[in-house]
Amino acid sequence: MKSITIRPIVEGKKEGQAIVSLLPISFYGDVDPETGKILDKSNPLYGKSIANKIFMFPESKGSTVGSYIIYGLQVNGVAPLGLIVNTAEAIVITGAILADIPLVDKPESDIFSEIKTGDIVQINTIKKEIVIKKRMGID
Amino acid sequence: MFLTKNQEKMLEGEMGEVIAINMKLIVKIGEINEAEKLIPIKSAQIAGVSYFTVGEAIFSFFNLFSKEKVKVKVPSWLNPAGMDRENWEKMGISKKFAEKQFQIIEKYKEMGIETTLTCTPYLIGNQPNYGEHLAWSESSAVVMANSFFGARTNREGGPSSLAAALTGFTSEYDFHLTEKRQPTIKVNVETNLNSLSDFSALGYWYGKNFHGETPFITGLPQLSVNEAKMLSSAMAASGSVTLFHVKNLTPESDITSLNNIKERIIFSESEKQSVYDFFAQKETDFDLVAIGCPHASLVELLIIHNFFEDKILKKNVKFWVFTAQKVSHSKKFQSIQRFLERKGVEIFTDTCMVVSPIIRTKYKHILTNSAKASKYLSNSKQTKVTFKSLNHILRSVTE
Repeated sequence: MKSITIRPIVEGKKEGQAIVSLLPISFYGDVDPETGKILDKSNPLYGKSIANKIFMFPESKGSTVGSYIIYGLQVNGVAPLGLIVNTAEAIVITGAILADIPLVDKPESDIFSEIKTGDIVQINTIKKEIVIKKRMGID
Repeated sequence: MFLTKNQEKMLEGEMGEVIAINMKLIVKIGEINEAEKLIPIKSAQIAGVSYFTVGEAIFSFFNLFSKEKVKVKVPSWLNPAGMDRENWEKMGISKKFAEKQFQIIEKYKEMGIETTLTCTPYLIGNQPNYGEHLAWSESSAVVMANSFFGARTNREGGPSSLAAALTGFTSEYDFHLTEKRQPTIKVNVETNLNSLSDFSALGYWYGKNFHGETPFITGLPQLSVNEAKMLSSAMAASGSVTLFHVKNLTPESDITSLNNIKERIIFSESEKQSVYDFFAQKETDFDLVAIGCPHASLVELLIIHNFFEDKILKKNVKFWVFTAQKVSHSKKFQSIQRFLERKGVEIFTDTCMVVSPIIRTKYKHILTNSAKASKYLSNSKQTKVTFKSLNHILRSVTE
């Protein structure tokens, strides 16, 4: 088990399988609000769903409509359990607050070399950390 | 962050769940940006209206507001929609789109927001005052409010401006603070700006080169509201700029400090020309002229009116002008419109070439005097865009 210090933005304690995008995410256009699936064909996660997983990506980009999409994921029951980003900006912060999805940023170490898709990860904003519980992911 | 007793009550849900979540949004954004307190706002300008841009996602978002009836606490106005609310059929908008669009407008109206449907609230009597704190989300209007009027607003998103409208507060950070309003780039304009599109070119060029930086501009002999509007919209679109100062001409220019200037640059004829060249096409097969990004003022309509006195529009080209519905209520407007309609010029209200779906689907080559519109329209692969001055455009599409 390894823990990494983060900055909590939206509070919560959630544990689940990680799904990791190495590319920035535009929630508007890249994520289907009906299914939670990645729609961006240039992303290796294309076709995979972020529903009920810990979704990790470097940063958000694109239209501010992305905030409504994050909220829509929650309404449609396909929201991620939690969000881990390098730097959170207005689109993802707004969406996560409204949808009440735990959100953390500013990890103290390079999470993208530490955490792979499939790993079991816990977000704990009270302790200001994320914990890698099980390494299942394949490089 | 410091909260008053009343603000704490709002956050804890004593005024209902909807107010609580909106307050949480305001406070969280403030905490992340190291705001010390909340400040009351005078008005809100809310984006997230056109069904073309917000899509079905907006209806999920409205679920958030279905629990209780809530009303805005300050004067609040809406950004443009995807169609003219009266003449949508004439624009070629489908009935299905219109129904969705009306539902969105109605939802905002229920919250007490005025359905102005314009990006230029300051052209229809809603000018902000010097020093007032606002929560505006239309990027061009944000720059106008900060720069031309000396009011204070950050570049809000649709949800955060709505949250500020419903709670009456925003967090005190960035452009609400005097020290964050100081210029970092000095721009000397060494060429004549002869048209509104020249101001648009200056804004576009600046934003493209100095993302997010506040400029101190020298060398401008004057700055009208229409010129400032073009400058604002272009620098917001190309570089997410929030504020500019113009020596002797904008309200804060005398009191700003030049101590933070890190780069001095010159805007000359060749820089100006580079923007026109960037949005140039070999072909001259224009099928639509689109004027009114940001929404046209009565002055601009009058310029078009006067040009058409002894001219008519060439065949095979449409000429659309976009403005605010409230502008269209004046008597002067109505006589301009009757005249221009006979010449083949159509005026639509409530929408524009950027946020209406019809422009990109129906027209192949658009001629406009707005660098902002040029940027957004050229994102669409099947649309060609040419950026020229209004005079040039009028000469090339009339006979």
